[in-house]
Amino acid sequence: MKPVPILLLVLLAALAAFAGSSSKKEALETPVVHATDADSMRALGEQRFRANCGRCHAAPQKFPPRATATVLRHMRVRATITDEDMRLVLLYMTQ
Amino acid sequence: MPYLCTKAGRQRWRQTVLPRLAALLLLGFFAPAGGHSQTADTEKAVPILSGTAGFLTSVTAGQTLLDTQVNPVLLLPFGDRWLVESRGEFEGRFQRAPGGGPFGGPVNKHLDYLQVDYIANPHVTITTGRFLTPFGIFNERLYPMWIRALQPDPLILPIATAASDGTMLRGGFPVSRRANLNYAAYVSVASIGVNGVESERHVGGRLGVFFPGPRLEVGASWQKVLQDDRKNGLGFHLAWQPSAVPLSVHSEFVRSNQGSGYWMEGAYRLSHLYFWQKAMRRTELVARGQQFFSGNIRSDAAQQLGLPAANTSETDFGINYFLKDGLKAVGSYGRQLSSAGNFNQWTVGIAYRFLTPLGREGTP
Repeated sequence: MKPVPILLLVLLAALAAFAGSSSKKEALETPVVHATDADSMRALGEQRFRANCGRCHAAPQKFPPRATATVLRHMRVRATITDEDMRLVLLYMTQ
Repeated sequence: MPYLCTKAGRQRWRQTVLPRLAALLLLGFFAPAGGHSQTADTEKAVPILSGTAGFLTSVTAGQTLLDTQVNPVLLLPFGDRWLVESRGEFEGRFQRAPGGGPFGGPVNKHLDYLQVDYIANPHVTITTGRFLTPFGIFNERLYPMWIRALQPDPLILPIATAASDGTMLRGGFPVSRRANLNYAAYVSVASIGVNGVESERHVGGRLGVFFPGPRLEVGASWQKVLQDDRKNGLGFHLAWQPSAVPLSVHSEFVRSNQGSGYWMEGAYRLSHLYFWQKAMRRTELVARGQQFFSGNIRSDAAQQLGLPAANTSETDFGINYFLKDGLKAVGSYGRQLSSAGNFNQWTVGIAYRFLTPLGREGTP
């Protein structure tokens, strides 16, 4: 086997290991994510919005909810933001 | 595993055990995770037409260029996990002919990407089609006119950013409470030379770590070209937005056979100033420093790629004024120093980001 496929395999293995461990850790170590208070969730969403979206561009205005859902799916792919951040930003942008 | 000590054992490992191991790994990695659909029923994604339109006037070494661009982006979501996305580029570059006369020039059409994305689970998105090559951050994230802080491209942008036609795995997920990992691994299998849809065969990847606390992202990219000289390219990137001040810092470094170089840019929003607040909070000052060092290719080949023909340094200063959401006036001045000649570059213009839902929008 050539080095390139082996490297890709190793990369996938490392990512799989990270993926498996991270979701469990998050459930245990990020209690703030499970906040039920709507205001707390929105505040957290705004925080994630500024941290993630602000990496590349200024804050846009709020769009209609269904358009925002599309934009965030696009941004999830383009900017590789996490699933959890996307949900919180979507909540912040649509409420 | 003592059987690996023998040639036959190693062959058996390569032919049977390794493929099965890879298959198991891939099955586990790509398995859809239950309960991870993207949106609530009330927020189902709707197709949208977005993009950028802009008009720039630049004077480079005394030569005036009128640059008109429209870059439409079409986003078509299907279900909770699929997205078809595409961006086209229509650019008219008009100059006066030597000796005077009216402005004239070509209108270039280019397909930047047309890709199908499948969100397999919270950790993996599979992309197939034509996509922007994820090398560094400028090509994928900062390229649109309404996003970039300075309109002239960085000198090193053409390095390792040729379009990709193939498939890509990418995603981002938290590795701890303080850090998110993001990655992209891709292979481009087509080498197309038709004007407007050029691409090359290559394989590569990008790995980044984002620290939400200090709002710092650092990462590295690698690419191996699978045609012509089959050389490697290596890059590093940084993005930092400190919470205490409205500053945004971006930087890239690249080393390749085609050339090496770096750029570093800072954009400072004047929203913290206590006078003329209405105007100041809409104003952004930008500075960028960059250097390019020629590689092991001929100068005419470098110019064909869009790279400088000789070692080059450039410093740019700019000002952006955000007139309203998605609309900004831009202006910049740059000085380029090179053994091929020194010159000034002035740019003024306007950039607009539009977005139109192509279906029922939902409750505003």
